[in-house]
Amino acid sequence: MRSLIPLVQALVIVFGAPLLRGVVSKLKARLQGRQGASVWRPYADLGKLFRKEDLVPPLASPLFWMAPRIVFAATAAAVLLIPVFQPAAVFGSPGDFVLLVGLLALARFFLVLGAMDGGGAFGGMGGSREALVSALAEAPFLLGITAVAIMARSTQLAGIVTWTLGQNFFDISAVHILAFSALAMVAVAETGRVPVDNPTTHLELTMIHEAMVLEHSGPSLAFLEWANSIKLGLLLSLLIGLFFPWGMAAGFSLPVLALAAGAYAAKMAALALVLAAVESSVAKMRMYAVPDFLGIASATGALAVVFTAFGGR
Amino acid sequence: MVWSSIALAVSLVGFAAVIPAAWIAARTRWLSWLPGTTLACSLLFGTFVGIVLISSTRPLRLDLGVAPFQFGIEIDPLASFFLILICAVSLPVILYAAAYLPRHYSPVQTQWIWGLTSLFLLSMALVVVASTGFAFLVGWELMTLLSAALILVDGTSKERLHNLFIYLLMMHVGAGVVAASFFAFLPASGGLHFSALRASGALLTPGARSVIFLLAFVGFGTKAGIIPLHLWLPKAHPIAPTPVSALMSGLMLKTAVYGFVRFTFDFLGGGPAWAGYVVLLAGAVSGVLGVLYAIGEHDLKRLLAYHSVENIGIIYMGLGAALIFLENDAPAWAAVAVVAALFHTLNHALFKSLLFLGAGAIADATHTLDIDELGGLVKRLPITGIAFLIGCASIVGLPPLNGFVSELLIFQSFLAGSTLAALPAQVILPLMAGVLALIGGLAAACFAKVYGVAFLGRARTAAAESAQEVPPMMLSGMGLLAASCIGLGVFPRLALDTLFSVAQTLVPGSSPPTEIAGLQRILVATTVAVLGIGLLTMAARVRRRVTAPWACGLPGLTTRMQYTSASFSKPIRAVFAAVYKADRKLDVLPANRPYFPSSISYRSVRTTSFERSLYRPMTNVVVTLATGMRRLQTGNIQVYLLYIFLTLVALLAMLGVQE
Repeated sequence: MRSLIPLVQALVIVFGAPLLRGVVSKLKARLQGRQGASVWRPYADLGKLFRKEDLVPPLASPLFWMAPRIVFAATAAAVLLIPVFQPAAVFGSPGDFVLLVGLLALARFFLVLGAMDGGGAFGGMGGSREALVSALAEAPFLLGITAVAIMARSTQLAGIVTWTLGQNFFDISAVHILAFSALAMVAVAETGRVPVDNPTTHLELTMIHEAMVLEHSGPSLAFLEWANSIKLGLLLSLLIGLFFPWGMAAGFSLPVLALAAGAYAAKMAALALVLAAVESSVAKMRMYAVPDFLGIASATGALAVVFTAFGGR
Repeated sequence: MVWSSIALAVSLVGFAAVIPAAWIAARTRWLSWLPGTTLACSLLFGTFVGIVLISSTRPLRLDLGVAPFQFGIEIDPLASFFLILICAVSLPVILYAAAYLPRHYSPVQTQWIWGLTSLFLLSMALVVVASTGFAFLVGWELMTLLSAALILVDGTSKERLHNLFIYLLMMHVGAGVVAASFFAFLPASGGLHFSALRASGALLTPGARSVIFLLAFVGFGTKAGIIPLHLWLPKAHPIAPTPVSALMSGLMLKTAVYGFVRFTFDFLGGGPAWAGYVVLLAGAVSGVLGVLYAIGEHDLKRLLAYHSVENIGIIYMGLGAALIFLENDAPAWAAVAVVAALFHTLNHALFKSLLFLGAGAIADATHTLDIDELGGLVKRLPITGIAFLIGCASIVGLPPLNGFVSELLIFQSFLAGSTLAALPAQVILPLMAGVLALIGGLAAACFAKVYGVAFLGRARTAAAESAQEVPPMMLSGMGLLAASCIGLGVFPRLALDTLFSVAQTLVPGSSPPTEIAGLQRILVATTVAVLGIGLLTMAARVRRRVTAPWACGLPGLTTRMQYTSASFSKPIRAVFAAVYKADRKLDVLPANRPYFPSSISYRSVRTTSFERSLYRPMTNVVVTLATGMRRLQTGNIQVYLLYIFLTLVALLAMLGVQE
């Protein structure tokens, strides 16, 4: 039973991710004064896509249909490293956060390759832009986690979460504020949300993520969309775990676990609301303003790391 | 000990026997397999020697000759590691070469390449097993000359000779500095035997220590290709025959890493207090600039050469971290950083050889190395395509491949910097984690570009469309290297456990940290998870229908509408424009009607900023001095008589002063 909990929390992220996406869309719609689609809409979309056939360009290689599945597999495997309801994950070892970043990079590498295999013009365009955004997002991502890892004196995600759980929320340090802002900016860039990328755009020339998945259809597209939702859920769960873990289950009794699940859902809903508010109030940036955005994230992450050397408070 | 001595002797005879074997093979058609087989056998024996001696506490010693021409070898664990590296990694390259050389070179050229390659490998082996300054410098010099000879076998066009000249010039300046770093020991050690150097390391004055460290850093840095001493590397590596390019990038650079480790860790026992920061920063600069220069390239071999600069940078970052830990009395973490650097050295040898061999296979199949003229190759060269993909994923540092493991270890040692007492180390080391991440992200962009443009999409030229898979021998060479990349990525303890015992001989008082044990477990578990989910999703039956890709509803999508390497890298080049400093020239004719031109020509030349700001002033000074000196040479016999007379007077005057 106890060893099942980490697995359950991974499954919650994998299968709950479309719901998170639906909730964000719904909140966004309400903020903009629209009714919006049902929060269960992404599940219906995925089901529809899974029942369809794959359309393949005439000269594409097998990598074209394998890439979406590899993207999905790597993203889903990365979830196994994230603590959700309790400060433990399915897999964990010192330095596992580098593995987390590595698995996301693996997914992204194949996403770009799959896009370039279509043989059209837009796949390369999306791939090229994604390569820029992700190359610049990697440094703040690792710096942000490095800063909190130094504070916690642990390089294991579960260890960092355990340490933060033992701290007082009101005793918050400058390092955590800086690291949180760096990681939040990275999460926005990595998942292709406004202001870095617009997930609902229909104009090819402004696309990043959408241009990469333009040629994919049917189950392949379903895997890519699902993987993207999982990535959003994963990064938000990581933010919750590293910066707001309070409420996580310390024991294994049913009330404690229920409380942890409730707290997690509430925190996730709050983050979804913030995301929806930002997306409704901020315009998408110009492509060449994104490096400045990520430069600020890098500087913030670097500052967070520097402050750890000065006691962090 | 007896067995390893015998194996060493057999291996030595084998290396020498390659030359007559190559001579025979060039004249007897059915014996063409002879030189390759002989070389492979001697490499196997060499690997055996290394494996036996790497975990042995008593090194194999052999001393010949008298001072100052003492010629000795000593194979201790560090030397054994590099001996294994040289012998084992060159085996698949030799396998590949056996099929590659006859397809591209005449029998006479093949004969020369075999003989010279054998001696080249032998000279590298000599460098890592030498135990006297004399033997080391002989090997060091032969290595340069033999690789230059191998480049000459491939052709003698003017441009090649120019590049070769730069290579030889910089190598000799570097070799001079290396020799100087040996001689700087002399006042304290009295001899150039490594045992004397080691003994005198602790007795040196701080000043002598700093001088020796700086000389070794610059001398070996020239060979390793540390920026700004990298100028020769992207010029010399691409013009060698492909298997030799693989050996130069995969192995020859590593002898410089060996020399640097031998000097700083073994002889000096850590160098001056600031040494670690210098090495760390030089590594970081090389890493970032190396990968940025690589992104701008579209010639595959040049691009790979710049990635060697980047990876040497990563190795130096690990070594720099190790020096900082050593300085701050943290031997356990110093050992981890050394292990990480040495493991990355091994990994880079594996995946860079693999990628160079892949580039050779591409050239074999399409007769071009310009990735903008390729496309869709993975369908025509499926096995090369898979092997090259594994190489790309390794060099980028993606799990579950070997490049990821060594970068993870370097990350962990950077993080451990926060536990040190010294404030600069506390701040700088963890910040380097961000630099390493930036390098990794940019490398991922670069290899997504290479693979996407060359192997995926649609063929851009007829040559790429009619490409044929290369013969099985070449494929097996690449396959072996790809398999080792995966093997060491999933089961890194195969190498790490031994490497820790090597590191313990360099960093006294260290014990392997317990954290490494968990590393392999999580790597295996994650690999199983990714493979399991991936296969599960791929197993599901899906209907597929072939349709044309989206072209905004317009007909006539051509292959030229695909992104090229230049367009793919444009955003990154625009963001880092300060690094590239391109000279652009746009001519629109006629000039008075810019919107209705009859012809447009556009030219863009990129010189790395070091060429312009560092090397050109230096060459200008040399040329000015030389022109000035030319005035002495008038060709007039009276003037020469005057010189002789003046010299005589000067000498007599000196004698008079001494009396």
